[in-house]
Amino acid sequence: MPGCSLPSYSPENISKTVQYLKNTYPELSVIQKCCGKPTKALGQVDLLKQRFGSLVQDIKDCEIDEMIVACQNCLNMLRESKEFKTVSLWEIMPKIGLPKELRGKAAGSDAVISIHDSCPVRQETAIHDGVRWVMQELGYKTVEPDCTRERTRCCGFGGMIVPANPDLAKRVMERRIKDMPTEQIVVYCAACRSSMLMGGGKAWHLLDLLWGPVVTKASQPPENVLASPVKAWINRYKSKVVIKRQIT
Amino acid sequence: MAVQYTEQVLKISTEVATGCQGLQPPFCSAECPMHTDAMGYVRLVGEGRLDDAVRKIRERVFLPGTLGRVCAHPCEAVCRRESEFGQPIAVAALKRYAADKADKEELWDLAVGQPTGKKVAIVGSGPAGAQAAVDLRKAGHAVTIYEKLPVVGGMLRVGIPNYRLPDAVLDFEYTYLTKLGVEYKMGVEVGKQVSLVDLSLSYDAVVLAHGAHKGLMPNVNGAVCDGITNAVDFLRELAMTSKSKVLGKRVAVIGGGDVAIDCARSALRAGAEEVQLVTLEKENELPASPHEQEGAREEGVVFRCGWCLEETVSQGGRVSALRLKDCRSVKDENGQFNPRLGDQDTEIYCDTVIFATGQRVEDISGGAMAQTNGGRYVVDGDTLATAIPGVFVAGDAAGSTIVIQAMALGRKAALSVDRYLKGQDLTAGRDFKSEYTYESKFKVPLEAGTENIKRVHTQVLSADERTKTFAECDLGFDDEDALAEAQRCLQCECKKCMIECLMLNDFTRCPGELFGTFLGKGDIEPIVPYSCNMCNQCTLVCPEEYKMADIFAGMRKDMVKANHGKSPIKGHGAIDIHQKLSFSKMFTIKRKGRK
Repeated sequence: MPGCSLPSYSPENISKTVQYLKNTYPELSVIQKCCGKPTKALGQVDLLKQRFGSLVQDIKDCEIDEMIVACQNCLNMLRESKEFKTVSLWEIMPKIGLPKELRGKAAGSDAVISIHDSCPVRQETAIHDGVRWVMQELGYKTVEPDCTRERTRCCGFGGMIVPANPDLAKRVMERRIKDMPTEQIVVYCAACRSSMLMGGGKAWHLLDLLWGPVVTKASQPPENVLASPVKAWINRYKSKVVIKRQIT
Repeated sequence: MAVQYTEQVLKISTEVATGCQGLQPPFCSAECPMHTDAMGYVRLVGEGRLDDAVRKIRERVFLPGTLGRVCAHPCEAVCRRESEFGQPIAVAALKRYAADKADKEELWDLAVGQPTGKKVAIVGSGPAGAQAAVDLRKAGHAVTIYEKLPVVGGMLRVGIPNYRLPDAVLDFEYTYLTKLGVEYKMGVEVGKQVSLVDLSLSYDAVVLAHGAHKGLMPNVNGAVCDGITNAVDFLRELAMTSKSKVLGKRVAVIGGGDVAIDCARSALRAGAEEVQLVTLEKENELPASPHEQEGAREEGVVFRCGWCLEETVSQGGRVSALRLKDCRSVKDENGQFNPRLGDQDTEIYCDTVIFATGQRVEDISGGAMAQTNGGRYVVDGDTLATAIPGVFVAGDAAGSTIVIQAMALGRKAALSVDRYLKGQDLTAGRDFKSEYTYESKFKVPLEAGTENIKRVHTQVLSADERTKTFAECDLGFDDEDALAEAQRCLQCECKKCMIECLMLNDFTRCPGELFGTFLGKGDIEPIVPYSCNMCNQCTLVCPEEYKMADIFAGMRKDMVKANHGKSPIKGHGAIDIHQKLSFSKMFTIKRKGRK
């Protein structure tokens, strides 16, 4: 389950990740749907029940043993519901390993990349470790900000404050960029990536680094797709089509 | 939109509102009766920002250099470095350092209120009267101080010896009053040259702040003779003339408090060859400040502790010896002063006796005002009003025992006078707690790894040098020591979440205040809960681990409920659409895997 922001950001990453997982789990099912976290954040209790219920039904329909999620909010929502065994994509990567040809691909890169952890999973050490493991496997040199792992700071996107208080959100984003020791930043949430770009940073999704070209000091990250609703919805649709083609 | 907040939201809000440490004052400033922001100016000294430190001190008190020298600093007794390690911050000495290095007229706030047309007479120019004068001038009233002596300052001038407080410091700091437009009538004794009734008729209000200038002498056996005086008269004469007519060569001071030590050390400087201090209390029970005792010992004052004066012996009309009996205990089981004497006798030789055994407030009302212990006038403790309308009391005449308390009572009297002159109720809506010493409830645990760093002491003249003159013997801090001492301050305040969270800073000074206001009003602006990132960083740093995000999330739910299922925030319409699409067939898919 990729969540919402990742398919809106990058159908390519969806496609490659689905293929990667399918190699390990031939019976892989894929669900692209929202978990209802934004509804929850707004405080819409009744709507949330209905919406989350529809996701639960989808999961049941697919007869899934274990959910692998690429979104930290989805992870928390599913774990809170206690209905399904749920694990983060970042946490299983060290277990299943990376494709051989990707190992050490960035060993020659001159980039030193700062790691930003997602605040909803500040207590999930296995996820933090998984992300760092991937970076190390790829051969990237990384550096930690002062506030990292369980002490990480919000990227500015949390709590649906962007539409409510955009000025404050901007300041939170800029503050987080100031925390970062280097210009290049890696995140594992597409919404965090969008925030980091708005705060003035050069942010990459971990999947960009995994599936995309090697990033150097001079590399420019992909544009802030999520800032354009039209592009984001087109991507979301494309991701759906990709999934449809890959899981037959 | 009338929001009904759920019990859970109200419950956690109450916990935070009552338990949050964000607005708890540090121990030092709560204890200070004038609530000087000691933590604040110590921090500024530690940052080398001395002008700002002086401004900070002067926000509350107009005598930084004076208090830096003579304040009994109750703040240091409650300092966290005292309770944890027995090494309090040298708050007073740092105040003196800031004042000596940086105080200048450009930093003074000389603004006064619009003239009210009201006139106030203040009797006495000591710390209480002067403080009242300052505050009343600031409120726009015309103020005249009646001072019976030819010099200003009261006990600061004639009770505290020059080697502790040089005249120049006092003179400089008292110019503040003149600059504010306070008028003086010097050398006019109320009760003699002019009566309290005269003042009441000529002024709209009167503040009696004439102190306790009558030295008490106990009844002691022995013939009436020369060479016997009391502390108040002795110190006043020295302060005003630099000489003492009564002083001989061999001096006995009776009493074990700070005033007795002042007398002993002053006698040495004025030419006495031998000074003995006779106290009822045992050496380890002396009420005098330890550093004053130490100073006296270094200078050669002989302590005779645990002795009671039985009889004076005279020769040729002048005292020649004292007969003493040993004192087993000073107070009885009920804690009352009731010395129990033993059967040991001794005799000491002396030609001068100074009684430092208490002082009394003289009645200047011609019997119009009731007096109680030590001559203190009977007043309303909250307002310092007396039975005579328009007459208020401040300072030692109202019960203070140290300078900073006297100033607090001066301020209290001024607050009452201001209300009285405006025809307002003296008590309505007044926060009496904040007008005097109170206890801070600050209870944030010490930061892990806080070390016991020893107190830095000021430089002093050697005992030999200092007994030769009345020059100031404490030389204060040098720059390096002041910085080191100031940086030891533990800064007892809790701003952890406020340092972490940008959002809270946009709306409040601390969560306790935010949720307290919410509970008071029964509502909160929707933008507040909807500005929380829900990142829990505040909870992570909070010593109480209060879950602010949970309260905000609960508020959001209650607001949605009251708003027919929708967020009250306009911009959230977009999220509604976004969410509908995110669950729509167009953008969702479920594909079940097969082998």
